[in-house]
Amino acid sequence: MTNRRNFLRGIGGAFLSLPWLESIAVAQRSIQSTPFRMAHFYVPIGVVRRGFFPGEAGHVIPKGNLGDVMKSLGKQNPKLSVSQLGQLTPTMQPLEEIKHKLNLITGMDRTFQQGTDVHAQCASCYLSSARPYTIEGTAWPLDRTLDHLVADHLGSKTPFSTLEFSCNSHRDNKESIYFDNISWFGTGHLAPSIRDPRKMYQRLFSTQENDRYRDITDLVLEDANSIKRELGHADRQKFAEYFDSIRSIERQMNRLEAMRSELAKVKFEEPSEAYLPRGDYIRLMGDLMVVALQSGLTNVATFMVGPERWDTPYQFDGLFDKPRSHHQMSHNQTKMIDDLLKVDHFHMEQYAYLLRKMDQIEEANGTTLLDNTIFTYGSGLGDGSTHQYNDLPIIMAGGGSLLKTGQHLNMPDGTPLANLWLTQANLLGVGLKSFADSNGTITQLIS
Amino acid sequence: MQLLELLSVIDEPQSASPGGIPRASSRRRALAYLILFVCTIATFTTPTLTVAQDKLIRTSAEIYESAFQSHCGKCHGIDGVEEGDVNLIELDGDQLGGDVEMLSSLIKVLDLGEMPPEGEPDLEPGERQRLVVELKKILKFEVQKTSTYEQAPIRRMNRFQYNNAVIDLLDLKCIVFTLPERMMREHKQYFKPASGKMPNVVTVGNRPLGKSQMIERRLAGVAAFPQDLRAEHGFDNRGDHLSMSPLLMESFLKLGQSITQSPDFVQRNVGVWQTFFEPPQDRGQWKASVRARLNPFLTRAFRAPVASDVLERYTKFADAQFDQGVEFTNVMKALTAAVVSSPRFFYLFDKASQKETSSVVDEFELASRMSFFLWGSIPDQTLLDLARKGELSSPEILAGQYERMIKDKKIKRFCDSFPSQWLQLERIISSIPNEDLFAQFYFSKYRDSMHMLLEPLLLFETVLIENLPITQLIDSDFTYRSNRLQNSYSEFGEDPLKGKKAGGAVGVLTFNRIPVTDRRTGGVITNAAVMTMTSGPDRTQPITRGAWVAGVIFNNPPEPPPADVPPLAEKPVGEESQLTLRERLGLHREQSNCKGCHEQIDPLGFALENYNPIGAWREEYANGREIDTAGVLFRKHRFNDVVEFKDAILEEKDRFARGFAEHLMSFALARETGVADQFALDQIVEATAKDDYKIQTLIKHVIMSEPFQNKTTPK
Repeated sequence: MTNRRNFLRGIGGAFLSLPWLESIAVAQRSIQSTPFRMAHFYVPIGVVRRGFFPGEAGHVIPKGNLGDVMKSLGKQNPKLSVSQLGQLTPTMQPLEEIKHKLNLITGMDRTFQQGTDVHAQCASCYLSSARPYTIEGTAWPLDRTLDHLVADHLGSKTPFSTLEFSCNSHRDNKESIYFDNISWFGTGHLAPSIRDPRKMYQRLFSTQENDRYRDITDLVLEDANSIKRELGHADRQKFAEYFDSIRSIERQMNRLEAMRSELAKVKFEEPSEAYLPRGDYIRLMGDLMVVALQSGLTNVATFMVGPERWDTPYQFDGLFDKPRSHHQMSHNQTKMIDDLLKVDHFHMEQYAYLLRKMDQIEEANGTTLLDNTIFTYGSGLGDGSTHQYNDLPIIMAGGGSLLKTGQHLNMPDGTPLANLWLTQANLLGVGLKSFADSNGTITQLIS
Repeated sequence: MQLLELLSVIDEPQSASPGGIPRASSRRRALAYLILFVCTIATFTTPTLTVAQDKLIRTSAEIYESAFQSHCGKCHGIDGVEEGDVNLIELDGDQLGGDVEMLSSLIKVLDLGEMPPEGEPDLEPGERQRLVVELKKILKFEVQKTSTYEQAPIRRMNRFQYNNAVIDLLDLKCIVFTLPERMMREHKQYFKPASGKMPNVVTVGNRPLGKSQMIERRLAGVAAFPQDLRAEHGFDNRGDHLSMSPLLMESFLKLGQSITQSPDFVQRNVGVWQTFFEPPQDRGQWKASVRARLNPFLTRAFRAPVASDVLERYTKFADAQFDQGVEFTNVMKALTAAVVSSPRFFYLFDKASQKETSSVVDEFELASRMSFFLWGSIPDQTLLDLARKGELSSPEILAGQYERMIKDKKIKRFCDSFPSQWLQLERIISSIPNEDLFAQFYFSKYRDSMHMLLEPLLLFETVLIENLPITQLIDSDFTYRSNRLQNSYSEFGEDPLKGKKAGGAVGVLTFNRIPVTDRRTGGVITNAAVMTMTSGPDRTQPITRGAWVAGVIFNNPPEPPPADVPPLAEKPVGEESQLTLRERLGLHREQSNCKGCHEQIDPLGFALENYNPIGAWREEYANGREIDTAGVLFRKHRFNDVVEFKDAILEEKDRFARGFAEHLMSFALARETGVADQFALDQIVEATAKDDYKIQTLIKHVIMSEPFQNKTTPK
């Protein structure tokens, strides 16, 4: 096969940037001030409110599927309040030792747009709820999600502008993409999540994967070159778009290659194909996310600890003897509230594990990876039975000197979740006036 | 009207040339005639023909010059008045033929009775007709002289085509990815085109609006690239709209990988598994068998015989993998990933020709045009075999293949793409009638539009499969409705389906075929879906409806309104609240310079005012004023109500057939239709009319037409 670099130089005459130019930039990363990063931890199917929210322990337990209620059964504080984060609720217990580095935020709302499934919409529109009915030609109030907007700003130099994780071990395709993905380039344009730790590992570290990619681009480039000779004059002009696009992909691959020696220092064993208990699986996926953020493979990541709805039962190893369906349990709170609380607690343990892990990774000037990351826990439903889009459970951790932490912030009734996203985007330097259906920022968070 | 900008084109050389010097356009004409003359001699055509044509132009000139003087000059030429930059007085014969686009619009406004406007001395019907005939002669002469059809540029597949092409190449038993643009989901296999009959009961789902209708058997882990949007007044396969970007390129490269790496990419789902992916028993045969398997595979994927160097390249690629110790099936997967990532697979183009003008497409290009038109995908083996034998282009065989293709289940892809885009049905997805005024539109967290959308689509499928006249699309004597939909039409006096509850299904929906006895319903215009999507949240929008009818039914879309016209307030204030919508719009229109256009489109919309914003019947407005739907179609056919309006359209069914044929041709050729296509379109309509306007005849004649079988790809 033709030497690839010469070959590329041959087509269209443009010269590709050589890897070493990029590797200088990468090497400088450790010297430069550490970049800020952003990560999101998504919890499906809401939480048991009595266990999660301060002051709701005595609230009524929703009975069966209250799908049409879509609001809290108990009363919430409709006014703004800022208080020290004191005694943690049972579900939040795993965060005890790190609570000084996070904020509990309650009272955040999303607006449901009639016409699509509640579960599908609560996940897919979690990171960007567009103003209802403003997106033409689709039934989804879905727009470019926060992670991509932030990555436009933070991720232009990393090999991957964003990474999408989903701890979905289902082997069936029972649900559509809207249940398994919170990250979207835009309406109808999915940034697909990866569920398999081996696939994610290969994506991050395997040069084999990259080589296969390169083999293919070599082959198809020659096809493209031979097509060019068959085209009429006008088509030849338009077909230049193909070579332009291939060239910019090349640049991306070079960037990854330039990091190769850097990445070789990362100690991370390739995941095996063996079955992993659910907790181990989630933590392995989490470790991959942490190492990607730490090593500069990406600055922005989203992490679904499980898919929305998906009735197929699965094993919560160590919690229950038999496989369980989180979704079905959520519609039977009166009978299964204790089991559900275990699931919520279990998810919180995974979040806490990642917070601790990130806080142990030291970065420049005595900071930790957690200090340099805004890492948010949240769900698109306030409760799995009422299917409410208001009073969502949100915890925002990290942020170091950017943020005031250790607070419980209760937002006034009707505060759009997008206000928090707007605040985060601007903390990370994006500089937006508004985002999705936001109507302000949350100044109480900013130090 | 396009006339405005088109005529400014011809105006340009005039203003640029000072008096005395021959006008640029005249010089161009003279040169063209000279070239024509030389060519004529060169091809041994009798030169007397040219003389005869020339004479024709001179005779026509006598007819149109006086007509222009007395009927058009006041606004277009006399005393330097040039409304819309149009001057018809200072034209000479050469100039009229010199700009075929202008000539074509001139014919159109005369033919449709759009000019002269109301209040100006009208043309006698006979005179108008004569003028149209004469101008058409000149146009035909000019167009045939250049014999150049427009050409869609090289373009990537849209995601609908890509999905289909991968399914067909690998004979997949499931889809690649779920696409909401395939709006109507088939449940329980009702679609049987070979039977020539639609069942009386069908089970369907609404992908973009229904509950869980996007959950289908598919390849897990494969993500679609973004939806390609419908061109304005066109389709989502339009060549000039389908371009490449780095992000998309990455998607295409990744797609190849993720398809073959999907956990669902297994023998059960992959029809060609045994013949392509399964290793031969004898390890020693591996390399040899790859070559043997690749040849037909690449031919199919690239829709043309494979050049030896291409085959060589792919074989070498496989060999290199073998040498690295990769197992057979994985080598074949890597090859497949490369093939579907190759621009030879996902780009559509015709090869360059030596001619500056149009030339006949080759056999393989014809096969691709057929299959992408009817099946939204690559040709099957039968088409490719005929192409290789050089037989596909023979008219009998081509007609036979057409018959085969339209009876094949894959014709569902045509039904999944053409009708919804032709009718612009995606507009109903964003329709949100005011919930306070139209509470019945909303149910169980969903919207009635989920049911509505399927009615016109089922009508279209039935007309196609049963080969009914296209007039059924205007005024059908049957329709398909769910119980919920039937109930929403109950004010038409139609009984709700007996013995059944008002069905409010949100997922899988049952639709029944029922006779239409009340002509106020039926057809693609007066159904609830179209009436809803052409309304605002609070009130109907007759102008929007009129523009829809003009564009969709007659393929004559109005130009968008000028930007400086203030919109009508949603809720009238003061004295205006006592007026009908027509009176309000009339007032509004007087304030601005929009009369010409609105005279054409307004009657088409006001004819539909009896349908409220969710398509229900009403006799009066909320303020108690009676609704006035009377109007005149093409300044010829007077109508008082919507049934008479449908009669008027049926009187003009050739114009509808013509518009429909233009939409089809645009879809088939991935481009806008142009002036050069006009005569082929005339022939298509003529042939269709002779066969009782049957839809399959119309589609067949699109395929048999010269534009369909020609390309213009100069080196």
